[in-house]
Amino acid sequence: MNLQPLSSENASSPAETAAIRLVVRNLDFFYGDSRALKAINLDIGDREVTALVGPSGCGKSTLLRTLNRMYSLYPGQRATGSVLLDGRNILGPDIDLNELRARVGMVFQKPTPFPMSIFDNVAFGLRLDGRLSAADVAARTEEAMRKAALWDEVKDRLKTPGASLSGGQQQRLCIARAIALRPEVILFDEPTSALDPIATARIEELVGELRRDYTIVIVTHNMQQAARISQKTVFMYLGEVVEAGPTSRIFMNPTENRTQDYVTGRFG
Amino acid sequence: MKLACLAATVLCLFFLGWILLMVVVEGGKGLSLALFTEPTPGPGSDGGGLANAMLGSLVLTTFGIGVATPIGVLAGTYLAEIGNGSRLASTVRFLNDVLLSAPSILIGVFVYALMVEPMGSYSGWAGGVALAIIATPVIVRATEDMLRLVPPSLREAGIALGASQARVITSIVWRAARAGILTGILLATARISGETAPLLFTALNNNSWFDPTLVGGVANLPVTIYQFALSPFENWQTLAWAGALVITLFILALSILGRFLLDRKTR
Repeated sequence: MNLQPLSSENASSPAETAAIRLVVRNLDFFYGDSRALKAINLDIGDREVTALVGPSGCGKSTLLRTLNRMYSLYPGQRATGSVLLDGRNILGPDIDLNELRARVGMVFQKPTPFPMSIFDNVAFGLRLDGRLSAADVAARTEEAMRKAALWDEVKDRLKTPGASLSGGQQQRLCIARAIALRPEVILFDEPTSALDPIATARIEELVGELRRDYTIVIVTHNMQQAARISQKTVFMYLGEVVEAGPTSRIFMNPTENRTQDYVTGRFG
Repeated sequence: MKLACLAATVLCLFFLGWILLMVVVEGGKGLSLALFTEPTPGPGSDGGGLANAMLGSLVLTTFGIGVATPIGVLAGTYLAEIGNGSRLASTVRFLNDVLLSAPSILIGVFVYALMVEPMGSYSGWAGGVALAIIATPVIVRATEDMLRLVPPSLREAGIALGASQARVITSIVWRAARAGILTGILLATARISGETAPLLFTALNNNSWFDPTLVGGVANLPVTIYQFALSPFENWQTLAWAGALVITLFILALSILGRFLLDRKTR
């Protein structure tokens, strides 16, 4: 437990150990005229799990969807400020979005297997630019499924439809699909909210392993989950970052009363 | 209320059953092998079949669907995926709905003025185009409806892997909706294979095998049925009944196939 006093300023400053992978500065987000994120400043550490928590509508999913520019799909949604990935502002107009999304993968709330075989699902992203040989695609597909702890369960039925898997397996399929592209960052948007407790435990375990190779940002409604799997926790409320810091401190010794009330379940 | 609904349903089914029974009983009398192998007989003569009309209908329907499918699927894709929410899309959607309910004889007259009059002759080409104009809005509508059933998260998942919108549409969305789209195409086929009015002004009809260039009248089932049924010759009337049965069975088969595909998809 971290007992040293911390002001809210240095709460969002770099962690004592990890290098910084994503730097969010002065980020505002708008759905049309409504401002959903207000002057967000945040550093996301390399190869650790950052959990975004807060009540519904606080902007945590919006923040997540800014990190791979998913919002750019929809006219009327826009972000101002900057998000630096390896020093480059990904909100800039000169960013190749397809390349960005290959570097920043995403796993959704509900499993989203494509209407194709298990193998083709994982190979999908690898085949996009047509530069990899079939043998390379097969090798990286297997590697991704091994990393996602799915290989042993599906290796004998790679040609069956992805939708034939159980919910938890489908979610691991989606994780494998993202990993296959060897991204730097993986975004998880409430990845276990549609899963049973056993499948949830497997995903959490997997996230813990993936942390060694990837920077992970996860949105979760489940406080215990945030406490279990993350190293950093960011508490958001009404479009603002109220408090960010090491997970143990946010849960045991938060600076802000609102954080204390939320993580102990008194509101939200 | 319950009783009124029940009564209306029974009344509706009663007439439907009556029509089908008549077609089966009367059409059954004319069923023979010759029906499928011999061309239509001359006025007042005995024997003959409907082979030329069936082949002509097959050609015209295939032509119509072949033209309507790419246009319809692409336009439906535009409405659901690309132009969604734009002014052009709402305009196109509205016009498509108008076309969907346009009287088919109007389309026949339109193609008459567009093709038959300038070319100086009835032709299978004109007939195929008229059928394509009728089938297209059906396919546009079916494609759009089916694409809308594909969950948005599937598109986002594709985009999140770095795929372009075009790639997401062709590799993911179309694939997810393919059974539904195919069903729409089958239903459009069923619809145009029984159309009579547009062919009256375009492909007309012919008492022998059609010319391979498709110029001149092309024999087809609906117009043959129309002409034979109104004729005073008993042989022709029998053939008209048999033709009606054949068309009905064909459409029934297509509908069942369409249902089957859709069913298997939703399960």
